[in-house]
Amino acid sequence: MKLPDIKLPKPSDLTGKLKAFAGLFPDPRDVKLPKNAAEAKKAAHDFWYGKPHGERRLGDLYLDKTGLYKHREWRGVKDTFYYFHMIWLYNYANMVMDIMKFGDPITFAKGLWRYRWMGQTYLPVLHWFDRGLEGLRGEALRASAWHYRAMTCVTINQFMNMFEADGNLRNGAHNDAWHHAMAHKETVWGGIFYPWADKYKHIPLEMIPYFVTCHVNNHTVLNYIDAAQSIGLPGDPCPMCQAEAGLFVLDDMPDFAPFMVSSNEACDGSVASTAIQDWFFKGPLFAMPQPMQFDDPLVQEHCANEIRECWKFIEEQTGAPFNLQLLNENLEKQNELQRFEWEKWDVAAKTNHYPINGVAQALYRIYQSQYGEHFIWHDTDKKVSKILTKCVEKKIDTFPKTRHRVIAWSCAPLYYSNWCTWAYNCWGLNTIINMDSLMFDMTIRTDNLDNTVMDMARYHEWAPMRRMAVGGMHHIFELWENMERFNCDMVMMYDQLQCKGMQGVVGLFEDEFRKRNIHAIWMPHALPDKRTVSRGEIRRIINDYMSTVMKEEPLDPSLLEFDDDMSW
Amino acid sequence: MKKTMLDKAVRKESRKLKRLKKAQKIQKRVAARSSAKRSTKKRGAGCKVLKVFGKIFALLAALYAALFAVFFFDLDGKLMYYVVEPFLVKHYDKMDRKNPLDMPYEIKK
Repeated sequence: MKLPDIKLPKPSDLTGKLKAFAGLFPDPRDVKLPKNAAEAKKAAHDFWYGKPHGERRLGDLYLDKTGLYKHREWRGVKDTFYYFHMIWLYNYANMVMDIMKFGDPITFAKGLWRYRWMGQTYLPVLHWFDRGLEGLRGEALRASAWHYRAMTCVTINQFMNMFEADGNLRNGAHNDAWHHAMAHKETVWGGIFYPWADKYKHIPLEMIPYFVTCHVNNHTVLNYIDAAQSIGLPGDPCPMCQAEAGLFVLDDMPDFAPFMVSSNEACDGSVASTAIQDWFFKGPLFAMPQPMQFDDPLVQEHCANEIRECWKFIEEQTGAPFNLQLLNENLEKQNELQRFEWEKWDVAAKTNHYPINGVAQALYRIYQSQYGEHFIWHDTDKKVSKILTKCVEKKIDTFPKTRHRVIAWSCAPLYYSNWCTWAYNCWGLNTIINMDSLMFDMTIRTDNLDNTVMDMARYHEWAPMRRMAVGGMHHIFELWENMERFNCDMVMMYDQLQCKGMQGVVGLFEDEFRKRNIHAIWMPHALPDKRTVSRGEIRRIINDYMSTVMKEEPLDPSLLEFDDDMSW
Repeated sequence: MKKTMLDKAVRKESRKLKRLKKAQKIQKRVAARSSAKRSTKKRGAGCKVLKVFGKIFALLAALYAALFAVFFFDLDGKLMYYVVEPFLVKHYDKMDRKNPLDMPYEIKK
């Protein structure tokens, strides 16, 4: 009888593996012991308070290519333990609690096993926090982290609502939750569905499977972009639309609602993606596109009528009547959020006590204003309001190494939304505000239905990418007044390489920048697709501008160049 | 003769007395021992509670230290990146999926 061959690992393989494993951790030989009393005192000071900006060398913490940390940043005793308790532990615990609150662990596990965007993205969510909050201290760390917590909560709420209703997880059977769900395109504002908020859940189709995944783990979305192209669609239109269509092509979209309300995604290039969704979505569809020329009063009237038609469609589909009281209640709650946002903007514009960093500001605001009313926004705003008041009363300089106050304009790279955290740590570029935050700059009247619908039409028209990107010259040039309003001296001009609308105005912007003597950095990117312009390339462009045009020295040279191509 | 009888009686009585005294002594000793036992029992119960608390505290401290190590050395990130994500990706790549192109494209009524 012949014994089976047993392959033992070669000793050299084992050593290699051990070395690779040891390489995941900090090398003890790198630890420098203090040589004299002064150095010991400095080391003790750094241990207690954290290293001052400029001595941190945050780039040395990264593992090559992966963007993982050899060890997480030591921010001083107080802030490190705040991060450990109130961000890391708190958020892991609350992620579990949220799953229990909005559903049950078995449904969660089924969804995780079924959908790529779920398993690949939402497990490493704490790393998304890390990337956005790098280098932050004190009140800025606290306020920004609360924004992240709110987004995580709403995300869990949405995907649990999807899974609770999902026919794919129940062999095609449709339960009560499915009959009480309303699907809509992520660029259709959630406010349209407020009149049914007591019994029906509105769930954006792509906000979780596409939009949020790009920020948390940008590997996932590449599957969907490639899937759309694999059925013969051209690769040059907006990769956002491709990815959204790709979700259906790869059969990775939950079957969670009987009907859907769609839009042209406020960018007419994506009309085709809605056509594909209509093909693969089994139920009836109502199209409610955002008009191009929205300043025209007749268009305003037309858009208001479309909203009324949409309400009729929902009444027909659900059999539930339109509830004006519910609409007004929810709009008032949303108006409250807008009023606090104005308060925040006021502090950001006029002082250096604003405790929210660029990425937290941008993502929270677009998420909140697009999704609509949710209890967590109010909880978060209460907490942030306390921090904001403290910062103003105590005159805390929240970003003390600010060299330039930056306004970010046009559509941001979703795979590198935390570039502003890097830019502050490396160059002192503090992103005060961005275009996406400013889009829905209005409250909605609730005095009578006609006024309400007209305001809702305006809100709907001001959707992402419509108002200030492809919404006409006047609106895209609102940049200049917002620069003044927010007291900014520099522009980070996003250049979405596959957006034909924005490509058309590059020259006009360049002329204006020259005429107005404004420092502007063009940041090329392909929205969710990191393969077109890598994060390293984006950093190189900013580094070049800062060193050659601005003639400035980096605050943290270790962040100038590092490889994070394989990072989440 | 009488004397010897008397002596015998005295000796008998004295022996009885001695036995009684011994019995008393033994009783005292037993009583002392049992009271000592009772007090040590009481002390032992207190110690046990303390020991349990100590163990719980030590366990929590060890758990806290372990969690801090996971946090500080980004072990959660490393686990997700090197183990969980590749495992899940393999699973998603192998999954049977419907071909949506098999669905006829028609206008819904």
